[in-house]
Amino acid sequence: MPVVVVTEAEEYQKRINADKTTVALFAADWAEQCGQVKDALEELSKITGDKLQFISLNAEQFPEISMKHQIEAVPTVIFFAKGSAVDRVDGVDIAAISSKSKKLAESASSAAATGQTLEDRLKALINTAPLMIFMKGDRNGPRCGFSKQLIGIVNETNLPYETFDILGDEEVRQGLKTFSDWPTYPQVYVKGELIGGLDIIKELLANNELEATLKG
Amino acid sequence: MSKYNSKYLEDKLKTQLEAQHVSVVDESDGCGGKFSAVIVSAAFNGKTLLQKHRLVNSTLAEELKEIHAFSQKSYTPDEWEKVKEQQQQQ
Repeated sequence: MPVVVVTEAEEYQKRINADKTTVALFAADWAEQCGQVKDALEELSKITGDKLQFISLNAEQFPEISMKHQIEAVPTVIFFAKGSAVDRVDGVDIAAISSKSKKLAESASSAAATGQTLEDRLKALINTAPLMIFMKGDRNGPRCGFSKQLIGIVNETNLPYETFDILGDEEVRQGLKTFSDWPTYPQVYVKGELIGGLDIIKELLANNELEATLKG
Repeated sequence: MSKYNSKYLEDKLKTQLEAQHVSVVDESDGCGGKFSAVIVSAAFNGKTLLQKHRLVNSTLAEELKEIHAFSQKSYTPDEWEKVKEQQQQQ
């Protein structure tokens, strides 16, 4: 499917709200680099087939939409899943646009194959292991101070656990915050139940309740 | 860089949670990206640890979008008395 040039706000809304993940290019006629990105999207649309839809719109023609998504420069590419922005690439970073598109196309096809919704996926993920930690990085290379402290504390209990790196999956990163009504990472789950973040783990430790809680 | 400072967060938590004690420390050298808070409120009575933290998180939902790191210790008035006792013993 070729890149569709959108000229009406109504059509834009309809497109981004569709079940199909949308790759939207915010462009301007006077910016040459936009053409480069558009060509790249045309190529990508051939590879990803019908998994994704690609649209292009003139950012200046839609000031409200551009403002909403804080488009500060063209080209900017925003990825939409059912109406909400799940990822973005500012500027001409063809490599990033391409890898993000391919990843979304893959997850679209795996979701389509199994009929799995994001909610199903999150439920499955939090139940991957009896003790499950969603964090930035992994146990050997935590990529945030809070995640690092958390791993240190949990390691002390010698309990087995699994981790999920939310930095590698924007859909899970945003989705789990809403799903579990918890705004930050790391997040600790025992048998699929949210226990909390680092503060709660520290407090449980201080109250000598940590091991019992993590065992579930 | 966020537009919030510890005074603003203290005031908001105090008002919204009718807290008897709130102290918020800016741990980011003033850039407003990292805070830690101690909150004592009767609103926490009967709530689990998770529920207490959720209540605070939802009170600061807007602010937490911009604050990179926020840690909290949230106590009921009874728990706070015990915490203070322990601190005095140490």
